[in-house]
Amino acid sequence: MKKILQLALGVITSVGGFLEIGSVTTAAQAGAQFGYQLLWAILLGTLCLIFLIEMSGRLSAVSKHTIVDAMRERFGFPFFFIVLVGMVIIAFMVLVAELGGIGFGLQILTGVAFPWWAIPVSFVVWLLMWKGSFSLIENGASLLGLVTISFIVSAFKLHPDWSGVASGLVPSIPETDKARHGFLAVSILGASISPYLMYFYSSGAIEDKWDRSYIPINRFIAGFGMTFGGVLSMGVLVVAALALQPKGIQVETFPQAALLMTTALPRWGFYLFAASMIVACFGAALEISLAIAYFFAQGFGWNWSEDLEPSKNSRFAFVYTIIILLAAIPLLLGVDPIKVTMMSMALTSATLPLAIVPFLFLMNDPIYLGKYRNGWISNSVVAVIILISFVLALISIPLQIMGG
Amino acid sequence: MKRSFALPLLFVLACKPPTPAEQMDAVVSWVSTAGMAGDAWLRHTTPDNYTRQALQLSNQQLLEIGTELRKSPPPAIDGATLDSVLTRSRFHIAQMARLVEEKNAPDFKTQLDSLRTDQRLVKQLSDSVESTQ
Repeated sequence: MKKILQLALGVITSVGGFLEIGSVTTAAQAGAQFGYQLLWAILLGTLCLIFLIEMSGRLSAVSKHTIVDAMRERFGFPFFFIVLVGMVIIAFMVLVAELGGIGFGLQILTGVAFPWWAIPVSFVVWLLMWKGSFSLIENGASLLGLVTISFIVSAFKLHPDWSGVASGLVPSIPETDKARHGFLAVSILGASISPYLMYFYSSGAIEDKWDRSYIPINRFIAGFGMTFGGVLSMGVLVVAALALQPKGIQVETFPQAALLMTTALPRWGFYLFAASMIVACFGAALEISLAIAYFFAQGFGWNWSEDLEPSKNSRFAFVYTIIILLAAIPLLLGVDPIKVTMMSMALTSATLPLAIVPFLFLMNDPIYLGKYRNGWISNSVVAVIILISFVLALISIPLQIMGG
Repeated sequence: MKRSFALPLLFVLACKPPTPAEQMDAVVSWVSTAGMAGDAWLRHTTPDNYTRQALQLSNQQLLEIGTELRKSPPPAIDGATLDSVLTRSRFHIAQMARLVEEKNAPDFKTQLDSLRTDQRLVKQLSDSVESTQ
């Protein structure tokens, strides 16, 4: 029963990491501009993430090491430090965007501009981290995250053309706006294959005291959780394609995105969108703050656990306190979270090889995984992901310039 | 470390200016946004605060795009026609924002209907710019 309840880890990783301001923004932009044409990017991102998350959980369950622990041990501190700098900068940008996403959700509900929400929202996120346990964060966020199912309900209520949806799952190149199309594809992949998800998930497996007996359930959690997130993202894209594209509305700002579900669910669509964004961004903000604190604590060999009193792992608590405080500053200054999101998605794509390549070595190391190391299927998939990540790294910057 | 900060800056600075077709798409997008937000308000499904903000944002964006378009109007369309439809749309949107505050739904609907007429005209202008690209 306890193992079944661990499904929450997959759901929060998925809702908090997969469905957040980045994926909602990119999926809504893609649907509003290109209809179903970019569904394949979400499908590809989901498949990649299922494999990466499964491997992250397997590494922790078998070796009792998180990815960060193992990376520092296997590749040494200098290499770890390079990854730390890259990951923390990007994760920080994503945290700014998520806190801004919560602020935006509150802004459309109350009319009070999002910079005013920066401090209260950051304080609530920090308070939950300070007072809450890992299971409270895990179960609370995944339970509340179920509100995001409204995107799927909306998609069904708009009666999509299923053959069009199916053809969108196959990559295609549009006749016009190729650069913009490519930029959105890269951004969707960047929003999906976020390395912080792997770090969070592998740390969560240690927090939940996984051992080898969790390997089958880990496979199920990774498959179910990430598919859940991927289908939600596809729901956003389909709703945007049906509700916004015919009117020529492009999603450049949050007030435009807020109209997404008002056609499908006239009575509740607006409020469900606001609630979904607040919950999803809140889950993501918790997840990223934890991921950054885990990264520092595991990398520098400090005590770490969300279940410990802050006095018992003060440096871990100090990192998330500072990072949340710093993330509130750009929002107070009125920096647009959607712009930060789009930039962080492209940068995530550009730095993917830094996270994925060492991971492939770890997953083939018998010292950590013994007989549970990657087989040829997993290695082939990671090789494909590395190839994709190198291509993304090469094209994300030119595409940002031409199509961003 | 310096490069990590320089890269986002480079992105922002290097973004190419929008083409006339993209600017016209943006005009269509903002006029439609105002129309959709107006529809939702008339159905009592969005709060006044949000509707007012969405309308004010649309108005602001149309002002900015209109200023750019006035400097270099797309060659395929008559600049005066575009200017007048933009001015009218902005007027209707500003009126709608005021009427939300007054909770005056009948007059709001009249302005929304006029905006819809302009929305169709804007779409036609955008299509003609697109067809010449």
